[in-house]
Amino acid sequence: MKKSAIVLLLIAAMVMPLFAQGAKEAAPAAQSAATTTITWWAFPTFGQAVPGEYEKSVIAKFEAANPGIKVKLETIDFQSGPDKITAAIEGGTAPDVLFDAPGRIIEYGRNGKLVSLDSLFTADYRKDVNNDELLNACSDGKTYWMYPISASPFYMGINKEMWEKAGALQYVNLQGDRSWTTDNYVKALKALHDAGFVGGSVYCGGQGGDQGTRALVTNLYDARIANSDFTKYTIDSPEGIKGLKLLKDLVDKKYLDAGTDIVASGELQLFSQQQIASTICWGTSNAKNYASKDFTALSVPFPSADGKPVLEYLVNGFCVFDNKDAARADAAKKLITFICDDKSVGPESVVKTGAFPLRSSFGDLYAGNDEYKLLASWTKYYGPYYNTMKGFSTMRTAWWNMLQQIFLGTSSVEQAAGDYVTKANAAVK
Amino acid sequence: MAVQKTISHRIQRQQDIVSYLFMLPMFIFFIGFVLIPMGMGIVTSLFNYTMSDFTFVGFKNYVNLFQDKVFLRSIKNTLIIVVVSVPLVTVFSLWVASVAYKSTSTVASWTRAIFYLPVVTGTVPVVVVWKWIFDKYAGILNYICKGLGIIDQNIAWLGNQNTAIWCILTILFTTSVGQPIVLYISALGNVDSSITEAAEVDGASPLRTFWQIKWPSIMPTTLYVVVITTINSFQCFALIQLLTSGGPVYSTSTVMYYLYQSAFTLYQYGYANAMGVVLAILIGLFSTLQFKTMKTNVDY
Repeated sequence: MKKSAIVLLLIAAMVMPLFAQGAKEAAPAAQSAATTTITWWAFPTFGQAVPGEYEKSVIAKFEAANPGIKVKLETIDFQSGPDKITAAIEGGTAPDVLFDAPGRIIEYGRNGKLVSLDSLFTADYRKDVNNDELLNACSDGKTYWMYPISASPFYMGINKEMWEKAGALQYVNLQGDRSWTTDNYVKALKALHDAGFVGGSVYCGGQGGDQGTRALVTNLYDARIANSDFTKYTIDSPEGIKGLKLLKDLVDKKYLDAGTDIVASGELQLFSQQQIASTICWGTSNAKNYASKDFTALSVPFPSADGKPVLEYLVNGFCVFDNKDAARADAAKKLITFICDDKSVGPESVVKTGAFPLRSSFGDLYAGNDEYKLLASWTKYYGPYYNTMKGFSTMRTAWWNMLQQIFLGTSSVEQAAGDYVTKANAAVK
Repeated sequence: MAVQKTISHRIQRQQDIVSYLFMLPMFIFFIGFVLIPMGMGIVTSLFNYTMSDFTFVGFKNYVNLFQDKVFLRSIKNTLIIVVVSVPLVTVFSLWVASVAYKSTSTVASWTRAIFYLPVVTGTVPVVVVWKWIFDKYAGILNYICKGLGIIDQNIAWLGNQNTAIWCILTILFTTSVGQPIVLYISALGNVDSSITEAAEVDGASPLRTFWQIKWPSIMPTTLYVVVITTINSFQCFALIQLLTSGGPVYSTSTVMYYLYQSAFTLYQYGYANAMGVVLAILIGLFSTLQFKTMKTNVDY
């Protein structure tokens, strides 16, 4: 009997921690009568060396200004973060606040997982932003799901010394806004090839940084990824096919490398190691992360047939998950407006993202920085924001597979583009 | 006598209760994290289950699966991985173990340590190293092959549809042989030496001693190695996810990877669960076949 009692005690000791953990988690719920606790999941978008460092300082300021609200921070990474969010949404444990880009956020909103942020897009706010393309990027056409803070273009980077040595720099326009043509791009690639350099890599080993390859393909002959009312994907247009054929030809001639085994991060490393002479995934953030002391990286827009590029761009912003708790939703909205709009924290947060503010009232946050002045001048080249289209996820998966088929020659350009469009458009319906 | 019997029954019952109580925590976890999710997976595979929809569609997901070229390609790739890796891993680990177990304990320990290293290192560091080896620009494989005159231009080993799956198989092989080698060394060491010595005295050749004495004796270990390697090969995912994303041109897409992509990238949970059910059936069939064909030879 004594032995059995000891055994039962041992079992209890094994099982009790489980209940104790439950009780521990229940404790904050009891506190919530006095304070509202919200959770903020953050990707490493504020560019600091230690993930979450800036977010923690913002939370401290926010909690000081809002004593009734507590914010729990959880940092996530770009590799596993999206899966974690999906699992949390389906498991009913989604965070209250998420900082991300429109591609995923609008998808969550369209599927009824988010709180509408229409009330934050006041007439004053819209007037302050004064850019319909950027505002439209935050909505699915009916509801605003993302509250934006900053935006920046995606562009190309070239290794100045390599291009100079190969005599290719003469084909780049280094005056004004540096816009240049497809013809000159091809001439430059030939010069680089003749000098023994690899002009660049059209990476297509996966989804990472795929906007770069789309920008390259579409700009070559003024094609569009989608039609103007975002109801159809259209790279099978004559302009799209022509662009893809040129790219295939450049790869076959070895002017460009087909990066069927790498994604954008791999291509950026090759650029940084001077294995390739240009990158098609340059941006304010990558220019910092992949900077090298061994060469000068020049920022240029994508080359286009008529010298007027259509640029892809990043919009950073916040969304609020619908956790069926009005108090938490209100607290989350307060937090995101504090980060984006507070007179001191707002501009600081924008600078931390390394991008440009949406609010014109923030003024020039990079005064005296010629590089940022150049990048700001490219705002006029921002194209239609198709990342919020239905079927965007399916389109992305099909995109790099299409490029692989073309470069490896398993399908003709027309066949591969046709298959891609069929797959992507099936997901639009 | 009757009283003694009653006391004995009571003690027995108490011991049973205590035993079951010991099992209870694990049983709760098994029900909560294995049985219930399995049941939910089967049920939701009959629904058009997405982020915003949950409509009963019967066997439509299964019908669509077998019309989906990428899924069929993924099944083919998965079967190639299983068919190639299982015999290779089993034969190689048996060979290494049969050499190592007769060596000194230092050699045996070193063998175990070397082959077990990739198992304990973890998938990500292993993949990083292999990525360097296969790298098109600075990879050592290209360097060696060019040095030996096998190739004249660098190859994107992971970016070529003819070589990518073999690269995956190579990595899978190195990460899979560790445990079987350790098990085989242990199993061979446990074979009754009096029987092998008797066979040798009777004039049996080393090969005959191996096939007729040792091989039947280590059959339970072989069965375990084969079944576990089969299941691991069927569930090959992390290598694909970290190295090729199923490409190029779906040449390394496996059922597990396509399942993940459908669920987490495209939010088609019902469709992904249908793939999970098909995969479970395939694994079940293979495992049953292995038990049926190998069990008769097991000599305890």
